[in-house]
Amino acid sequence: MSKSNAAANGHSLWQKMPKANAELFALTYGTLVTELVRDYESTEDINEQLEKMGYSIGVRCVDEFLAKADQAGMVIPPCRAFGETAEVLAKTGLRMFLGVSAEVQMLSDSSFSLLIYENPLSLFVELPSDPKWKNLKYSNLYCGILRGSLEQVNLRVECKFVKDVLQGDDVNEIRVELKEVLVDGAGEEYQEE
Amino acid sequence: MSSSQVLLFVIVGKNEPLYEAEFHKSGTTGSSDSVTRQNYFVLHSALDLVEKAAWTTNQMYLKVIDKVNQQQVSTYLTAGNIKFMLLHGGRSEDSIKNFFNDVYELYVKLSMNPFYKYDTPITAKSFDTRVRAVARRYLG
Repeated sequence: MSKSNAAANGHSLWQKMPKANAELFALTYGTLVTELVRDYESTEDINEQLEKMGYSIGVRCVDEFLAKADQAGMVIPPCRAFGETAEVLAKTGLRMFLGVSAEVQMLSDSSFSLLIYENPLSLFVELPSDPKWKNLKYSNLYCGILRGSLEQVNLRVECKFVKDVLQGDDVNEIRVELKEVLVDGAGEEYQEE
Repeated sequence: MSSSQVLLFVIVGKNEPLYEAEFHKSGTTGSSDSVTRQNYFVLHSALDLVEKAAWTTNQMYLKVIDKVNQQQVSTYLTAGNIKFMLLHGGRSEDSIKNFFNDVYELYVKLSMNPFYKYDTPITAKSFDTRVRAVARRYLG
């Protein structure tokens, strides 16, 4: 799927999605994170919880993505290389759900970086200057979403934030590494004799 | 008279001051200890007058509520009952109103930060820098 196609598809899918108020969205996520901060002691635990929540969201996202695309009459062909997956994710998927698209930087055949310039989750947020917050990955939800949705299409990946605007960098960068291409399989009980 | 050179700006919550800043006119040095203490005293004694003045108008900007010697205290009461108080030696109503409006916008943006809890002391450096920039712009 060509790059310009992916972007155009993303844009038209975004038009069709029901919208929520951006401030409400960001503030709700903000309270979620502050609740987690109150419940858990270490920033690692908080990051882990955010990732788990993102995973549950991501698992459902990919079905919705393919269904809506089908409804809109778009054809999203199976990706022939991991790079194509990255493009579809960044330009179409993220655009459809969040309204922002990301840039892809291929690092190798099995890993890429997603660069997100505008993060709708971190509107109004400023992390306190206490050094213990240096490890908090505020938008770790995205990592979970990517992992969950790619797992549904049989790609086991590991995602992590390498650069975060809230921590002082100029862009949000998520590194996605392909670990394994899963084989479609039902459990052992269902194996045909 | 040093009192017209030094401006004291305090944000007061329900129980305690949340933010304090002293602005000096460019060129003059900081004021002495006793002048500072006197300034704080004047400002805090005007706190009761804020409550009184709040009932007289439905505006957030309460203008000058107290005059002592050469100093005046102007107040802005936010929708969440947080008091912005400015001790000054006579500035135009308009410039003070603009100052308060800009600080209010900064305050609202700060309160939208999920990590800032309402009615707690404001420690963010960025807030301090921005308030000082606003003060320099409107209050000289």
